[in-house]
Amino acid sequence: MRHLLLAFQHADSAFPSGSFAFSNGVEGVAAAGARLDPAGLGLLLDQILRHRWASFDRIALARAHRAAPDLGALAALDAEIEAASLCAPLRDGSRRNAAALLAAHLRIGTPGAEDLRAAMRAGSLRGHLAVVQGFLWRALGLDEPAALAMSAYGAAMGAVTAAVRLGAIGAIAAQPVLAEALRRAADLAEAPVPAAARLAAFLPFVEIAAARNEAADLRLFAS
Amino acid sequence: MNAPAFDVRASGAAVAGRAAKAGLRFALAGGRTELVRQHVPYPFHVTRPFRLDRARPEIATLYLQSASGGLYRGDDLSLDLSLGAGAVAHVTTQASTLVHESRGAPSRQAVRIAAAPGSRLLYTPDPMILMPGAAYEGRTRIALADGAAAIVSEGVFAHDPAGAGRPFAHFMLETEMVDAAGRVVACDRGGLAGADFAAAASPLGPYRAYGALFLFAGGAADAPRLPAALPGELARLGLFAALSALPNGAGESLRILAPDGGRLAEGLAHAAMRAFEALFGVAPAPRRK
Repeated sequence: MRHLLLAFQHADSAFPSGSFAFSNGVEGVAAAGARLDPAGLGLLLDQILRHRWASFDRIALARAHRAAPDLGALAALDAEIEAASLCAPLRDGSRRNAAALLAAHLRIGTPGAEDLRAAMRAGSLRGHLAVVQGFLWRALGLDEPAALAMSAYGAAMGAVTAAVRLGAIGAIAAQPVLAEALRRAADLAEAPVPAAARLAAFLPFVEIAAARNEAADLRLFAS
Repeated sequence: MNAPAFDVRASGAAVAGRAAKAGLRFALAGGRTELVRQHVPYPFHVTRPFRLDRARPEIATLYLQSASGGLYRGDDLSLDLSLGAGAVAHVTTQASTLVHESRGAPSRQAVRIAAAPGSRLLYTPDPMILMPGAAYEGRTRIALADGAAAIVSEGVFAHDPAGAGRPFAHFMLETEMVDAAGRVVACDRGGLAGADFAAAASPLGPYRAYGALFLFAGGAADAPRLPAALPGELARLGLFAALSALPNGAGESLRILAPDGGRLAEGLAHAAMRAFEALFGVAPAPRRK
């Protein structure tokens, strides 16, 4: 029970993780004219979870969780994530979100957070979100399945919250969509992550929309 | 769109599991880029280098051709392209390549590019056409010396001639850039099952053909740049596209989505023309295909 409640605390949108500032492409998709009604949002969540989260973020987080607290191994993984993140706003968003998350953990004194910050300041790693999450959540005593569940929840909940804040869908109408996405995320999260799993993503519509939105004059989100 | 090259085996009598390694080396000699070494086993075939651009006669343009009508199950083809110092070349294909039904044995194609200091390569193959049941894995690895630049493009779309709604099996594309120190500075890796390609939740959104163009140039101040207007130009052709800076200052990417293969080929041809200007400083003479 203690671990479950700990996972709730750190996955909750009330935790100051900084994730509220990032739509991870949802704002760009809305700006491109895609309808984010319940059906449209459901399709978008399916794309994001299956074609990026499951094959990229999930792999990166599992590998980071296993590598922690070895900062050398995490630096190599972080460089791999950087090189494999071709969409600039999503790449920058991952680093900025991670910096905000780390700042909160420094304030609350999570074990090892100071070491991670020192490594980032020394330039040995940039600090992508999956690396920072894997390091910090393991330091808190959360196991790999819990970390993957928190990451899946964050990906699905973040996209739904962005759509609600953009006024594309109501908070009530979004709940069945989120429930279905979480069912799918649970299935995806349970697939094993082999030690040599490589990072892959294929999400061109969202990435093009995010890149086009980066140049927009008026934006609600940083990515 | 260019008609794909067919031969008798395109009807289905596939030869399984061909492995072939081709190699082409360009070098600057006497103010011109010459093809100084070529090893082109079956099923590869290449034209001689053409001098198409009067304003830049040192540019060699070479067409890759398939002698066999495409890629078949189990094919494992690789092509090494190397450029000596200062060499400038445009390598393209004469037509799209058909990838035939793979029945559990994917067709693989690997391109390895090594570019010496000051060399420039534009590598713009036509898109791959994925037939029902086709599985295609394409890998491109670009190793650039300091001061070299390369632009490579890729594209895929599905073709179901019987209209029976049978998707291709899957594709996987990997494009990796390695800097002079041997560090992977950018790696685009992704793929899709055919059933997902045209599904309601397709990651292509409402589009049905995918392409990309990558400019790899390192971070030098005089490194070529793709024109910022390019996505807008492609939008006028009905395409959805965006430029984005690559990680580690490695260059830029242009991703393109198109409603169909014909429009994708048109968009990639336009992007290749603009890439040629960016890389070589002059507009290309027309390339006949």
